[in-house]
Amino acid sequence: MTNMTGIFIFSEDRALAKQLLTPALELKQALGQPVTALALDGEAAAELAGHGADKVLVLQSASGWVEGLGDAVAGLVGEASVILIGGTQRGKHLAAHVAARLDAGLTTDAKSLKIEAGKLVASRILYAGLAVCEEEQSFPAVATVPARTFPAPAAAAAAGTVESVPTAADGRIAVTGVTPVDKSGVDISSANKLVSVGRGFRSKDDLHLAVELAGKLKGEVSCTRGIAEDEHWLPIERYIGISGQIVKPDLYLAVGLSGQVQHMVGARESKIIVAINSDERAPIFEAADYGIVGDLYAVLPLLTAAINA
Amino acid sequence: MPKFLVLYKWTLDEQDIKVKSDDLSLDASRAKGKISDFDRNAIEEAAAIVEKQGGSVEALSYGTPTVKQSLKDVLSRGVDKAYWIGDASAETADAAVTAKVLAAAIRKIGPYDFILTGEGSSDQFNQQTAPRLAALLGLPCLSFVHKLEVDGAKASVARKLADCTELATVTGPAVISVLSDINKPRIPGLKQVLGAAKKPSEEIALGSLGLAAEDLQPKASRRSVKGFVMTRKNVIYKDAPADAVAKLVSSLAGEGLI
Ligand SMILES: Cc1cc2nc3c(=O)[nH]c(=O)nc-3n(C[C@H](O)[C@H](O)[C@H](O)COP(=O)(O)OP(=O)(O)OC[C@H]3O[C@@H](n4cnc5c(N)ncnc54)[C@H](O)[C@@H]3O)c2cc1C
Ligand SMILES: Nc1ncnc2c1ncn2[C@@H]1O[C@H](COP(=O)(O)O)[C@@H](O)[C@H]1O
Repeated sequence: MTNMTGIFIFSEDRALAKQLLTPALELKQALGQPVTALALDGEAAAELAGHGADKVLVLQSASGWVEGLGDAVAGLVGEASVILIGGTQRGKHLAAHVAARLDAGLTTDAKSLKIEAGKLVASRILYAGLAVCEEEQSFPAVATVPARTFPAPAAAAAAGTVESVPTAADGRIAVTGVTPVDKSGVDISSANKLVSVGRGFRSKDDLHLAVELAGKLKGEVSCTRGIAEDEHWLPIERYIGISGQIVKPDLYLAVGLSGQVQHMVGARESKIIVAINSDERAPIFEAADYGIVGDLYAVLPLLTAAINA
Repeated sequence: MPKFLVLYKWTLDEQDIKVKSDDLSLDASRAKGKISDFDRNAIEEAAAIVEKQGGSVEALSYGTPTVKQSLKDVLSRGVDKAYWIGDASAETADAAVTAKVLAAAIRKIGPYDFILTGEGSSDQFNQQTAPRLAALLGLPCLSFVHKLEVDGAKASVARKLADCTELATVTGPAVISVLSDINKPRIPGLKQVLGAAKKPSEEIALGSLGLAAEDLQPKASRRSVKGFVMTRKNVIYKDAPADAVAKLVSSLAGEGLI
């Protein structure tokens, strides 16, 4: 299995794995090397083989614990030039283990990928989004790629081959329970308009002001980390930022939030950003297209009333 | 009784870093150092466990020679002893270099039952050090932990992932990375700060770790760093609420948003 020069992709998240084929196929153009995908089951493998992977290896591991597959994956990717791994938490853990095993670099959360002079050049953020940097790596080069960075490719004309490989997993960790997160049915990342709330709100009861505005706008309510993690006023999957969700709505209406970089990195690709904040020096105004300097308790009811349903 | 090592990074406070508008370079001349945010949670977690159950907490940091400035702060947070490696190579170190240096230092000063790190460093946020280190040291690794219980050599954790909470157990020695919501780090009081001055710290010379020059060459090297600038319209209404709202509504209508 070793000595296969080529481009490898893996994600346990099937949608993300498919998205990884898009940059992988670009790299294939640039390097003239085949794309091999690693998958966890036959169904996922068939999908990847049908969308451009030249070959898919189905990892047959007893445990299924992705983080424990590091040694096995490092063995399979042997002399790879580029390895792309889906940037979920499990994927990041696996990628770091594989990179250490291969004595390779690893770009976390790559936003763009290209080959220049025989090196992988990837862009990513630094300082929680304050800066963007370009990193270059010799081969083997590893990068994790966040979900929705690339679109999924169209179906391929010819399907790739699928092969099973028995895979050993790290047996030193015992997973004793898994509780899925209750997503309460809302996917903030797909909302077109967001009313995002911060610590300017004095109590959970006051959030109805944002809910009503979001209702008029046919949007959803999102928030800063403090509102979700510290106050528990909204579920954690509604908070935006470097450690939360990355969103790109048409309208991001930030109410009573200061606009610190760790938050804004999750919202700054929004088409239009609007800020409502009582402090005219709040950083959110620099990040805003439109803003009102004022008390949210006075402004929100007026704004909700002024928008025609 | 568990013997902990907490790895912490001494980073610049990003709030003090300014983006220069002419060439988008970063001006860090006014930036102060800080213990990377999530590492304070890692320190707190080990300190709190040891205060309850006994054991010991040591800390280790690799940085440029300025890392020495961190000692007082780290020792005032419940740490018994701090080790530091100050070397210019840290300026360009990527996660590969960092993990090799830390692994070599741990081979020298260890072993430890549990090695704790933050989820990610607040400057690079590579989220790599814990799994890389575990791979290099041949130890198991649990990442993204938001609950940690230690009972003898056994750790039981809850990991918080985007779509689930996962419970897992491991027998030490092991590497564990923690999330920021695992605890609220203490704010050291005067007594702790004064006490820190009496606690031991030890420099580890990079040259004593037996690393080759090649080990200190980053595998991922930075070609360019540019401040992120948003070009936004910045139309800000400061009128009385009713007027400001009327203007905003007309702006939003102009954008086709309502
Ligand atoms: C490593 C790290 C990662 C982080 N990750 C994230 C993340 O992913 N997401 C995130 O959101 N944060 C994150 N943070 C925290 C982030 O730095 C900020 O602290 C946080 O976003 C601030 O939340 P806030 O805007 O709700 O609160 P504050 O900063 O307290 O802002 C409240 C704002 O409300 C305004 N206000 C008060 N009263 C009123 C009123 N009556 N009317 C109008 N305005 C009012 C104030 O002027 C102020 O600007 C992270 C921090 C660190 C260190
Ligand atoms: N130079 C360093 N010295 C000590 N610990 C570090 C260093 N760099 C990273 N770490 C630890 O590894 C964690 C993850 O860092 P990173 O992989 O850079 O995101 C940090 O939260 C620290 O606990």
